[in-house]
Amino acid sequence: MSLFGQTVICGILLGGMYALIAIGMTLIMGVMKIINLAHGALVMVGMYITYVCYKSWGLDPYLGMLIAMPALFLIGCLIQKYMINRLVEVDSILPENQVLLTVGIMLVLTEVARLIFKSDYRSVTTGYSSSTFFVGDMSISVPMTVGFFIAMAFTYLLHLFLTRTDLGRSIRATAQDRNAAVYMGVNAPRVTVITFGIGSALAAAGGSLLLPLFYLWPDIGHLFTAKAFIITILGGMGSTMGAIFGGLTLGIAESLGATYISMGYKDVVGLVIFLFVLLFIPGGFKSLTKR
Amino acid sequence: MKRITGIFVAAVMIIGIMVVGGCGGGGAKPQEQAAKKETVKVGVILPLTGSEAMFGAMEKNSMEMAYEELKAAGKTTVGGKEIELKFEDDQSKQDAAKAAAEKLINQDKVAMLSGGYSSANTNVIAGTAQSKGIPFLIVTGSADEITKQGWQWIFRGTAAPASKYTGALWDLMDKVIKPKSVALIYENTDFGTSSAKGFRKVCQDKGINIVFDQAYEKGAIDFKPMLANMKKTNPDVVFAVSYVMDASLITKQMKELDFNTKLFIGGAAGYTMPEFKENAGDASEYVASTTLWIPNVAWKGAADYFKKYKEKYGKEPDYHGAQAYATMYIIADALGRAKDFTPEGIRQALKSTDLMTIMGPIKFEDWEGYTNQDKPTTYVVQWQKGKLEVVWPEEAASAKLVFPVPNWKERK
Repeated sequence: MSLFGQTVICGILLGGMYALIAIGMTLIMGVMKIINLAHGALVMVGMYITYVCYKSWGLDPYLGMLIAMPALFLIGCLIQKYMINRLVEVDSILPENQVLLTVGIMLVLTEVARLIFKSDYRSVTTGYSSSTFFVGDMSISVPMTVGFFIAMAFTYLLHLFLTRTDLGRSIRATAQDRNAAVYMGVNAPRVTVITFGIGSALAAAGGSLLLPLFYLWPDIGHLFTAKAFIITILGGMGSTMGAIFGGLTLGIAESLGATYISMGYKDVVGLVIFLFVLLFIPGGFKSLTKR
Repeated sequence: MKRITGIFVAAVMIIGIMVVGGCGGGGAKPQEQAAKKETVKVGVILPLTGSEAMFGAMEKNSMEMAYEELKAAGKTTVGGKEIELKFEDDQSKQDAAKAAAEKLINQDKVAMLSGGYSSANTNVIAGTAQSKGIPFLIVTGSADEITKQGWQWIFRGTAAPASKYTGALWDLMDKVIKPKSVALIYENTDFGTSSAKGFRKVCQDKGINIVFDQAYEKGAIDFKPMLANMKKTNPDVVFAVSYVMDASLITKQMKELDFNTKLFIGGAAGYTMPEFKENAGDASEYVASTTLWIPNVAWKGAADYFKKYKEKYGKEPDYHGAQAYATMYIIADALGRAKDFTPEGIRQALKSTDLMTIMGPIKFEDWEGYTNQDKPTTYVVQWQKGKLEVVWPEEAASAKLVFPVPNWKERK
C-alpha cells in the first residue's frame, strides 16, 4: 500500500511541475493558434539563468526563479514582437511558417547555450536537494513538494489574472475569437506579445523548480517540448485547467507505469494515454467539461 | 479550423523531422588544409552535439591532444604522407551516424574510420564500414555483438565488450563479497542491455539469486518507483549500469529512500566520472564501480595524460578520454607500419598491432567468438572520502575495500 501511495504522490508532485511548463505552451497555443516548438528551449534558457544566478551569487534556485521569470518574459516578448508578429503580418503562403520559425528559434537557443556552457551536464546542489520527509513508509522529496506547491500557486495566480483583470480578459477574448476581440477594441498584437511573455516566464518557472531535482544540458529542451506537447493535447489546446489535469495525468501515469510495469516503459504509458485521448476524446479533457 | 489542422499536421511533421532527422549542427570541417601535402585521411565519428556531446567533446579533445604529441614526435607522417583527422558529428543519433560514415567513406575517401561513442551508433558505423570494406577502429562503443559478428574490418582495442567490464568484479565477488542476492538495474540502451545480459549469465552460473531485474529509460527524473520496488526485495548487492547523471540521481534517491545495501556497484560508464561525485555529493561515498581505466593506474603515461588534459582543457578526463587518446596512438602506430594505404594494407597493420598504451597493452585477437577484440584488463574502484581508489585486483589496489558499507543513517 505504501508503495502505491508513494507512486501516486510522486506522480502528482512531478505532474504539477510538468503542468506549469505545459500551461505556458497551452496559453501560447490558445492565443496564437501556433505550436511553439521552442518552448522546451525557453525552459532550458530559464534553467541556465537560474543556474548562473546560483553559481555566481549563490542565489537559491527558488529565488533565482524571480530573476529568470522576468528575463524570460522579456525574451518571450521580444521573440513575439520582432519575429513571430512580423511573420503574421506578411500573410505568408503557409501559416505553418510560424511553427517553422519556432523550430529555428529552438535551434538557435540550444546552440547558443552550447556555445556558452558547452555540452556538460550541470546541476545545482542545495542543502535541501536530497532532503526528504516520511509519511508513514513513504519518502517524499522536499524540493519536489515545494516545487509542486509553487507550481500550483502560479497556476492559481494565472487563473486569477486571466479571469479578474482587463488584460487577462483581453487574452481570453483573443484566444476565443481574434477578429471579434479586435472589433471590441482589443490590441491583439500587444496581447500576443504579452501572452508569449507570460508563457515563457511560466516555462522558466517550471525549469527553475525542476533544477534542484534534475540536471541541465543544452538539449534538455526536447524533453520538455515533448512533455508539454503531450499535456497540451491531453488537456485540450488553450485550456489552463486542462493543462493541470493533463500534467497530473501524465505524471501519475508515468509513475504508475514505472512502478507496476517497468521503468523502461514509463514513457510508453504516457504516450499510450496520449494516443487514446486523441482517438476517443480528440478535443482533450477540456471538451468533456464544456459540453 | 482547417488552418489549425494544417498547422497541426505541420507541427507533427516537424517533430517527426526533429526526432528522425536530427537537429544539431553539422560537423564537417573545411577541406582547405588538405590541398598541399598528400594526406592519409582518418574519419572520426563522435557525438559532438546532442545528449552525448559531453563525451564526444572529451574524446575529440583527447584525440587532438594525442595527435599534437605524435606530430611533435614526427609520427604523424607515415610513408611520406601526413595523417589527417576528419571529425564528423553523429548528433548522438543513429541515422546521423550512418550518414556520417557514408559521407566519410564515399565523399572524403578516408583510409580508415575511428570513433564511435554509444554502442547503438557504433553498431551502425561498424555495419557500414564492414559492408564497404573500410577498417573501423572503435573507441568506446562496447555492446558485445559489435565484435561478435565475425566482421573482419572492425577492430576494438580500447573498449572491452560490455559483458567483460566485470572481470575483476567477479573475482572480488567470489573472494570477498559472496552475495546471496543481487538486484540489477540498467538503462535500456545497447550498452546497458549488453552489460546486464553478461551479468545475468554469470549470476546464473554461480547460482546467485537475482531478486530484482529491471531496465529504465535514460534521462528519467524520478527513479523512486523503481528503487522503492527494489528496496522491498532487500538485495545484498545492487549492480547498476548507468550514464553519469542517471547514476547520481539513482544514488541520491537511494539515500532519500534510506535504502541500504551491503555494496552498491556501478557498471563502468557513469559511476567513475568526476561529474558523478560532484552531482551525487555525499551519496557517492562508498559506491563501487567496475572500470577500464583510472588516472592512477600503473600504465605508463596514464597519469601524464590526465594531468596534461586537465591543464589544457580545465576539466578532468575519465576513461572515455583515455580511450580516445590511446586510440590515436594505435592509429598512428598501425598507419606507420602499413605496407600501403589500401583498406587491406591498413587492416593487416591493425591486426598485427602490439602496442603499449595508457589503456594497457593492445592486441587484436580472436577469442570466445569475438573478432579483432583486445582482451581487457578491468578494475574495481570505490569512492572513499571523495576520491576514487582502486580496491581490486589486490595487487593494483590503492586502498582497502570498505565492505559492507555503513547504512545511510549511520554516516555522519
